[in-house]
Amino acid sequence: MHNPAMLPAGAPGSIRGRFPARALAAAIALLGIALGAAGCGSDIDNRPAKWSFISATITEPGCATVACHSAVAQRAGVNLSARDVGFDSLVMRNFVIPGDPIDSPVVFLMHAQGSIRMPPDLPLPEVDIQLFERWILNGANND
Amino acid sequence: MPTIPSPMRRIVLRVFAGVLFVCLYLALASGRAEAYPQFQFSSGTNRCSQCHYSPAGGGLITSWGRDESGDTLSLGGDGAFLHGAWSPPSWLALGADFRLAGTWNDVGGDQSPQTAFFPMQADLYARVAFNDSVSFYVSGGAHGEVRPKEGTATTSAGTFSEDFGSVGDRFMSREHYLMWRPSATGPYARIGKFYAPYGLRFVEHIFYVRRFTGYNLYNETYNLSGGYVADEWELHLTAFTPPPSGFPDQLQSVGLRENGVAIYYERRFNGMSALAAQTRLGIGQEASHYQGGLVGKLWLEKAKMLVLGEADIVRTEVAAASAGETGFVSYIGPTFFPIRGLMVTGAYERYQEDLSVKGTGRNAFDLEVNFFPWAHFEFVLLGRYQMIGTGAPDATSASLIMGQLHYYL
Repeated sequence: MHNPAMLPAGAPGSIRGRFPARALAAAIALLGIALGAAGCGSDIDNRPAKWSFISATITEPGCATVACHSAVAQRAGVNLSARDVGFDSLVMRNFVIPGDPIDSPVVFLMHAQGSIRMPPDLPLPEVDIQLFERWILNGANND
Repeated sequence: MPTIPSPMRRIVLRVFAGVLFVCLYLALASGRAEAYPQFQFSSGTNRCSQCHYSPAGGGLITSWGRDESGDTLSLGGDGAFLHGAWSPPSWLALGADFRLAGTWNDVGGDQSPQTAFFPMQADLYARVAFNDSVSFYVSGGAHGEVRPKEGTATTSAGTFSEDFGSVGDRFMSREHYLMWRPSATGPYARIGKFYAPYGLRFVEHIFYVRRFTGYNLYNETYNLSGGYVADEWELHLTAFTPPPSGFPDQLQSVGLRENGVAIYYERRFNGMSALAAQTRLGIGQEASHYQGGLVGKLWLEKAKMLVLGEADIVRTEVAAASAGETGFVSYIGPTFFPIRGLMVTGAYERYQEDLSVKGTGRNAFDLEVNFFPWAHFEFVLLGRYQMIGTGAPDATSASLIMGQLHYYL
């Protein structure tokens, strides 16, 4: 630890004093919020099985990372960075077979069947895969 | 031939020399520029900007930060640029980060676990000071590549050419900005590309509070930002926009393409704790995100332990679907500093993308050891276990062990 005399102007120097109770309360509240949120939610999934929703809430944050399916990387030629290019990548390239979730390769990839799991660092929850499957079953439109 | 007035000539020469040096520097080598929030309070520093040129922390470290790296954070050594062998002139600051990583990743399925060894980071930094108030900062490097380039990629949908070329093709400038900052504390303003100050900003971009709040790797935006940094508090206000689509890949970002504002306010108490409130409002063509949360930091001197916590609520609105969802993302964990040069972090993370739907959550448990045997060197060992979805026995889980060798110049 530096000699406080050597600290730049405004540096706090050594740790001192007792921490305020409100800071501790805030830390505990944070922990409570974090733990309390675990397991939230209903068993009924009312999210819309639409590509615009799936793209914005699942594939863009989960798949379009810098070294994977972003616009600058496009691993395997797949760009999931936005709704239209993501639709083209999946549907026009036959990763998705409209109306047939069972034979759609993207579902195999998500379930790691015959391939590395996608996303390989952050598997999708089963309810998200089911949302994908409902969208495919509904015709896999760019809706 | 007109002569340039002396002060102006000096500035022009500095700009020219700085740009030339940066260009050479970047041409010769091939990214991340993050901070270590674990060092706030624990190292006796109150503000992130004591160790970093950025007023909100992260990126190139100051001479004070370099001294700290040798005298306080590591077991020894000289933290100065080039280990003190050569000092750049006072108007120029240079630095670099290099990371090599090895991973063991088990996400279940037919081809897990997988191992990989890869260059994780090669970033170069430069800061040119035009005078006591105005400076220009630039960083750039090639982003990491966990999976090797194979030329083709075979998936269940067929075989595809991998358009994922050389290091040069992966080069991106993560940050470049012009800053007015007349003193270490007080007001500042900057314009350019960087992360809008928000959240804990860990080095580990895989942490949920980075990944799902718009601060994943290479998510920097173009910003007009200003604020005030004092010993006991700091405020950062930022208007942001994504890189224009016409910009070359080297100046692009990935992630959310939204226009908006971010506000971060941190209040510190007695040099040992802090509480921050933050919000980020981004409006995009397809989707918009409205988020806000709290950050808490608490240093316990006797226990040599720093507790960091962050919790955010994220509202996503998808215009085309006429629908939205409200998610939650959090981090909490203690970092122990049992001896000089060593820190051990345990953390619990929670991310639930839609609080109204059960099974959309993820829990992560992290154990990370950072060892700084000598200034400029760091060894990192990270273990991470994720429970995906409901957490039921048949739900997916993911395990990661990652080792890193980090060298900074």
